[in-house]
Amino acid sequence: MTRLPATLAVLGLAALASLMLAVAVGSVPLTPAQVWAGLWGEGPPLHTTLVQELRLPRALAAFATGGLLAVAGALMQVLLRNPLADPYVLGLSGGAAVGALLAMLAGVGLALVSGAAFIGALASTLIVFGLAHGTGSWTPTRLLLTGVVVAAGWGATINFILAISPSQELPGMLFWLMGDLSHARSPWPALAVLFTATLCAWPLGRSLNVLARGSLQAAALGVRVRGLEWTVYLAASLLTATAVTVAGSIGFIGLVVPHMLRLVLGNDQRVILPASALAGGALLTLADTLARTAIAPEQLPVGVITALLGVPLFLYLLHRSR
Amino acid sequence: MATNVQHHSGDARTPWWTGLLAAGLVLAPMSGVMAADPICVEDDRNERVCLSQPAERVISLSPHITEQLFAVGAGETIVGTVGFSDYPPEAESIPRIGSHDRIDVEQVVAKSPDLVIAWGSGNPSVQVERLEALGLPVYVSEPRGFADVADELERLGQLTGRSDAGREAARAFRGEWEALQTRYAERSPVSTYYQIWDQPLMTVNDEHLIGQAIRLCGGDNVFGDSSRLTPRVDREAVLGADPEAILASGRGEEREDWVEEWRRWSGSTAVQRDNLYFIPPSLLQRHTPRILEGTRHLCEALDEARDRRPEQE
Amino acid sequence: MAASLLTLDDLVIHIPERPPGSPLNLAVAPGECWGILGPNGVGKTTLLHTLAGLRAPHRGEVRLGGEPLARLGRQGVARRLALVFQDHHDGFPATVLETALIGRHPYLRAWDVESPEDTAIAAEALARVDLAGLEHRLIATLSGGERQRLAIATALTQTPELFLLDEPTNHLDLHHQTRVLALVHAEVARGRAAVLSLHDINLAARHCDRLLLLYPDGQACWGPTAEMLVPEALERLYGQPLATGSVAGQPVFVPR
Repeated sequence: MTRLPATLAVLGLAALASLMLAVAVGSVPLTPAQVWAGLWGEGPPLHTTLVQELRLPRALAAFATGGLLAVAGALMQVLLRNPLADPYVLGLSGGAAVGALLAMLAGVGLALVSGAAFIGALASTLIVFGLAHGTGSWTPTRLLLTGVVVAAGWGATINFILAISPSQELPGMLFWLMGDLSHARSPWPALAVLFTATLCAWPLGRSLNVLARGSLQAAALGVRVRGLEWTVYLAASLLTATAVTVAGSIGFIGLVVPHMLRLVLGNDQRVILPASALAGGALLTLADTLARTAIAPEQLPVGVITALLGVPLFLYLLHRSR
Repeated sequence: MATNVQHHSGDARTPWWTGLLAAGLVLAPMSGVMAADPICVEDDRNERVCLSQPAERVISLSPHITEQLFAVGAGETIVGTVGFSDYPPEAESIPRIGSHDRIDVEQVVAKSPDLVIAWGSGNPSVQVERLEALGLPVYVSEPRGFADVADELERLGQLTGRSDAGREAARAFRGEWEALQTRYAERSPVSTYYQIWDQPLMTVNDEHLIGQAIRLCGGDNVFGDSSRLTPRVDREAVLGADPEAILASGRGEEREDWVEEWRRWSGSTAVQRDNLYFIPPSLLQRHTPRILEGTRHLCEALDEARDRRPEQE
Repeated sequence: MAASLLTLDDLVIHIPERPPGSPLNLAVAPGECWGILGPNGVGKTTLLHTLAGLRAPHRGEVRLGGEPLARLGRQGVARRLALVFQDHHDGFPATVLETALIGRHPYLRAWDVESPEDTAIAAEALARVDLAGLEHRLIATLSGGERQRLAIATALTQTPELFLLDEPTNHLDLHHQTRVLALVHAEVARGRAAVLSLHDINLAARHCDRLLLLYPDGQACWGPTAEMLVPEALERLYGQPLATGSVAGQPVFVPR
């Protein structure tokens, strides 16, 4: 806990730096002065458009999505007592994808596709919840198994939809499935969800630390295990559903960011949760900036870059730790 | 015009203000013509795209659109296009603004275009909507057949102020198209299988552009009545249908692997009569005037297949 | 006679696929150290978990200080009762001090941070189990015995009135077995109470002043240690013939 102020300061700076970089850099070269002018609406209208309407919303959306996925990942890992869990392990991204693809198949507008994705994610949550409940009590193992199976089911459904869709729908569907931040419209709802969720999750941090020791031990120390687990499950689902609705399913961040932070900062959820929000946001913003500028005008899928950035970083940290 | 008016106003028998009235009546609609948007065209979404003057800075979001623009003489108006815009050769030097399935929106905006021509099924609609939201005029092209190629040439000609060239190109296209139809459509049907991909095996139905070309050439596509535009089939289905002619595109312009693959099945009619044909994919894949060249190849191939029939048939 | 800390009222524990045993009616008073003896699988762990409120009984009630467990709430129970588990599942890396500190959880509210006093309590608990100096070691690097002692330190950090210990001498060498039981004694002497399940009859004989014997057929009997240490009863308990001896005035039982 004593590391919290220092950690937040460092990660906060990193987050700010990544946002500034995202706004300053693009496939159209702008000097910092021009970027600054564009930010305030001065200077040529082109610059204003580029900065205010293209780069800034996209940077904020990337930050929100990265933060949402990282916090969801941290919560999932505690919920399932498993460091290998990620936000999608319980079928959330699969459900969202099925929702989105069915909406595309039905030919509805894009706003409805996003809405359908959100509903699909939450539907998946309820299905896994209901199935794992079974005959009374469920354990993290049972939840995990149910989630993995449901996720596989969604995967098969996605393949089926892709197979029967008319060819002209396929590019749009694949674009959605790969995850892309050019989807993003307004970043404010996602940012609001991220901020609120992190703030509300923080007081649960110590209980989560205890829960991570095992449900019996936690119960013996006064933690309301069932209530806490459901809260965490719903929170993680909501965060993931929001992230997937904004940008499709972007992988890797939810699994690796909490892990990397744990290697450096230890296991106190009161530090890990806010740190995940900042670090996940910074990483995805950086990755998205690279994705749209590295080989401009060619645009890369951001999931490729997150892996390229995250894998070496993670391996380095793993190597350095004991 | 003005001199005529003054001439009228000089006539003694009409009141002095008639001239002014006539001037006003003549000049008013003229000034209206100067200021109102004269170029309005319906795109393939059935939406009206209106420009106040012919487009001079065009963004093309598909290789076929680039080709079409060149065909109406508007190639020099293109300020940015997507990857694979390789025909005509001059198109290679046009600056790129991403790929058709992932557009660099920033670059598009930076080019300050006055018209963006998008590809309905090939561009991510999210990004096309973004461009429209930023205030750019967007024309969506989604051609479905031969007739659409000619229509589009006319519409693109209008949008770029090259209506004459557009009409001429469309006329030439329709003429050649009709000529091919007259020559080949009435010939005896040749059962045909056209392969557009090998893993998985993919073919076309009658609604597909290639399917329409096959019909034009008097071919009978064995998978023509499939409900999907590009059905996935298996070898058994093709061998069961036992087409008279097997045509394939291949991945590149020279490779004939896909066609050669079929030689193994020596029992099939097409293999026995050596009716295995390769058509360079670039000639049959885009809704541009080159489709006629590809169709001609196709018709000649099917004609050869007719010639190779045994005497009794 | 002090008011009882823990009361078992007609308690029958629930063991799946076993017929319910005879009801337990006993009271644990401050200053008492109870030992639970019985063969494997008879339900010692289940009983301890039921006493801690982690499992629902088949029948009957457990009361802590006169209040039924359910009425006290999880946090209320955790402030007064500490349970040391037999097995320790450590999914995520943690340090020794962090693990001891979780014992303060029942006393902290959501927005609270551990105070220096809390850390001091945890540090003292670690010292008492001979783990001082290992505060920043990762628990994955601890030996079985050290991990067991850490679990006891966590319970001490909880500063409860009642200790429930499930086979606390597992994994411990003789020296530490003695130390841990001496520690329990010290706590009991201060007015706490302890209930421990043990495999070793002799340890129980030496350190516990009350015994609860759980028989495999579901029967149970309890009472002062001296009364319970009847060779025939113990032989029936374990299904094992025993030879009785005496060392330094204490009865000693050895398998024959």
